[in-house]
Amino acid sequence: MTDTPQLPDRPPRRLRTARQRRKQLVGLLFVAPALCLVLLFFVIPLGMAFWMSLHNWPLLGKPRFIWFGNYSRLFGDAQFWSSLRFTVYYTLIVTVAIFSVAFPLALFVEKARPLTKLYRTAFFLPVVVGFGSASLLWAWLLDVDSGLFSPAAYWLGLTAQKINLLADFDTTFWSIIIMVVWKTAGFNMIILLTGLQGISTEVQEAARMDGASPWQRFRRITLPLMRRTIALALILSVAGSMLAFDQFYIIADGGPQNSTITAVYWIFSQSFMSFHLGYGAALSMVLLAILVVISVVQLRLLRSPEGM
Amino acid sequence: MRIFRIAALAAAALGVLSGSALAQQKLTMWSRSSSEAFMPGLIKAFNETHKTQIELQIVPSSEMVQKYATAAAGGSAPDFVSLDLVYAPAFAKSGTLEDLTDLAKSLPYFEHLSKAHIGTGTYDGRIYALPMSADASVLLWNKKLFKQAGLDPDKGPTNWAEIEADAAKVNALGGDIRGFYFAGACGGCNAFTFMPLIWASGGDILVDGGKRAAIDTPQMHDAINFYRTLVAKGYVPESAKTDSGKNFFGGFATDKVGLSPIGAFAIGNLVKNYPQVEFGVTFIPGKDGGRASFAGGDNFVVTAGRDNLAAAKEFLEFVYSIEGQTLLAKGGSLPTRSDIAAEAIKGLDERYQIATEAMKMGRTPSSPVYNDVFNSSTGPWKQMLNEVFFGTDVDGSVAKAQASMQSILDAAAD
Repeated sequence: MTDTPQLPDRPPRRLRTARQRRKQLVGLLFVAPALCLVLLFFVIPLGMAFWMSLHNWPLLGKPRFIWFGNYSRLFGDAQFWSSLRFTVYYTLIVTVAIFSVAFPLALFVEKARPLTKLYRTAFFLPVVVGFGSASLLWAWLLDVDSGLFSPAAYWLGLTAQKINLLADFDTTFWSIIIMVVWKTAGFNMIILLTGLQGISTEVQEAARMDGASPWQRFRRITLPLMRRTIALALILSVAGSMLAFDQFYIIADGGPQNSTITAVYWIFSQSFMSFHLGYGAALSMVLLAILVVISVVQLRLLRSPEGM
Repeated sequence: MRIFRIAALAAAALGVLSGSALAQQKLTMWSRSSSEAFMPGLIKAFNETHKTQIELQIVPSSEMVQKYATAAAGGSAPDFVSLDLVYAPAFAKSGTLEDLTDLAKSLPYFEHLSKAHIGTGTYDGRIYALPMSADASVLLWNKKLFKQAGLDPDKGPTNWAEIEADAAKVNALGGDIRGFYFAGACGGCNAFTFMPLIWASGGDILVDGGKRAAIDTPQMHDAINFYRTLVAKGYVPESAKTDSGKNFFGGFATDKVGLSPIGAFAIGNLVKNYPQVEFGVTFIPGKDGGRASFAGGDNFVVTAGRDNLAAAKEFLEFVYSIEGQTLLAKGGSLPTRSDIAAEAIKGLDERYQIATEAMKMGRTPSSPVYNDVFNSSTGPWKQMLNEVFFGTDVDGSVAKAQASMQSILDAAAD
C-alpha cells in the first residue's frame, strides 16, 4: 500500500465562499463612491435621454410617447446623414493633420537641448485656451475686414482684394482645420512624448550598434513600442473630433450655406434652436452608438499582439 | 360676547393685513436684454406711481425662450414676460399663457394697439399677448456719401431701381465704400428687412392664417434677383456674405455704406453713438414703389394660472398711457398705440416719424413654428437666403425651402 500524496488542507467550501464574498463586498465598498458618481452623472442621465428619445418632447407643451418614432424619422433626415458624413470627413482629415504635426513636435522636444522647456511650453500653450475662446479668437483673425489674415494678405499685395475666407467651403474648412491643429497638437504632443520617453534607451542603443538607420529605428522600434500611446491619442482625437461643435458654430455658424454643420451642431440645432428635445435625444443616442462602435474598432485594430 | 369681539377684531386685522398685502402686491417680470434701454426706466416709473410693484429681471435675449419655457414647466415662471412677439403663438399653443381677451377688449383704445402684435398674440381666436415694445424695419441712407456721389442727400429711394441706381453711384466713390449692406447669413435680420420687399411688391410669406408657405412666388424671385444683382455688381461688401447678424447694425455704422435696410432701433443708436454718420430714413419700398415694414418688438404676456389680471391691467394701462408711450419712445422703442404715437415721439429725432409710420403698416408672419421656419440658423429660411443670394441654384433652393417650410407647418398643424 502506497501513500497517496495528500493535497494541502483547504478550508471547507462554505468557509471559502464566505471569505470570498466578504472580499468582494470590501472591493465593492471601495469602488462604491466612484460607482455612485458614474450612476448619478452618466447612467441615469443616459437612461433619461433614452426615455426622452422615445417621446415627442417639445420644449413647449406636453411630451407624447411615440415608441421609436424619432428613430424612424432619423433615417429620413437628410441633413443628419449629411452632417454625419461631414463629421467623419472632418475627423479623418483633422486626425491625420494633428498627428502629422504632433509626432514631429514630440520627437523634437523629446531630446534635452537648449530651450526644450520653452518649446514644450510654447507648443502646449494653445491647449489651455478653451475651444470657445480659441474659436472666438480665430473668428476675429478670419474676419474679412477687421481680422488679420485677409487684410494682411491684401496690404502685402498678395491678393487683389480682401478675400472672405469664410464665404467658401474649402477656405472655411481648412481654416478651421489649421485652428484645431494649432489648438490640440500640443496635447497630442505631450501624450506621444510620454510614450517616447517610455522606450528604453538601451533598445535604441542596441539597434544603433547593429547598424539600424534612424528611419529603421523609428519604424521597427519606436512605432511598435508606442502602439498603446498612439492608440490612446488616436481614440481621444477621433472621439473629440466626432463631437466637434464649438469651432463650427462660432467661426462659421455652419456656413457657408449649411455646408459645415457637424453631427453635434445638428443635435444642438434640433434640441435648442428648434426645441425638439425628444428628437435631439434620439440623434444623441445614435451618435453615441456610432462612437462606441468606432472606439471598439480602433481598440481592436491597435491592440498589440501580446494584448493591451 | 367678549369672544365674539376678539374674533371680530382678529378678522378685521386679517382683513387689513390681506388688504395691505394686495395693495403691496409684488410681481415679477422678465424682459430680454435688447429692451434694456427702456424697460428698467418704464418699470421704475410704474413702481413710483403705483402700489403694485414689479420686479424686473433682464434675461439675455438668446436665452429667453428656453428659460421661460423651462421655468413655466417647473412652476417658477415670472408673473409677466416681455416676449419677442414672434414666439407668442408657440407659447399660446402650449397653454403657458393666460387668456387676455377680456382684458384687451376692455381697453377703450384697443383698436389703436399695434395690429401686428395683436396678430401674433392671437391664437385660436383668443388674445394671449398684447403689445409691449415695438420696432419697425426701415431703409437708411448715408447723406454724406449721397452728397459725395452727386445724389440729392435729402431724397431716399422709393423703388428698387432707385436703390440700385443710388447704390451704384455711392459704390463708384471707390475704396472701401460700398453701395448697399445686408447681413447675408442671418435669418432673423432678413425676415426683418427682406420680407418687406416682397410685401411692398404685393407678395406674401405665410398665407391661410399661417398654415401655408408662399415662398415660391414671382415677388420672391424678383426680390432675390434684386439682391443678387446688387451682390453681382459688387455693391455689397464681402463681409455681408457671412454676417450672421453680428454686423447687422455695424455695417451701416461704419459710415462706408450708402444704403441699408435696418430696424428703427438704429436711429437712436446712430444719433447717440455714431454722431458722425449723417443719415436719412425712408420706407422699404416694393419693386415699383409701395412701402412695407416688418413689425418687431415684444409682446406682454401673463403666465397662466396666477390670478393677477387686475395688476396686469394696471400695468398695461400705464404702458399705453401717454407717459408710458413717451418713456418707451425715449428709450428707443416705437410707440405701440397709434392714436397717441405722434404725441409720444414729440421732441424726439424727427426721423422717428417715418419709423412710427412704418410701424403702423408693420406686418409679422404668425406661426407657432416661426422659430423653426425663420429664425433657426439651420432652418429653411436662412438656408434658402444664403443659397439664393450667393449660390447658383436659385430655383432649386427656393423650391426646396417651399417644401421644407410647408412640411414644418404641416407637422405643427397635426
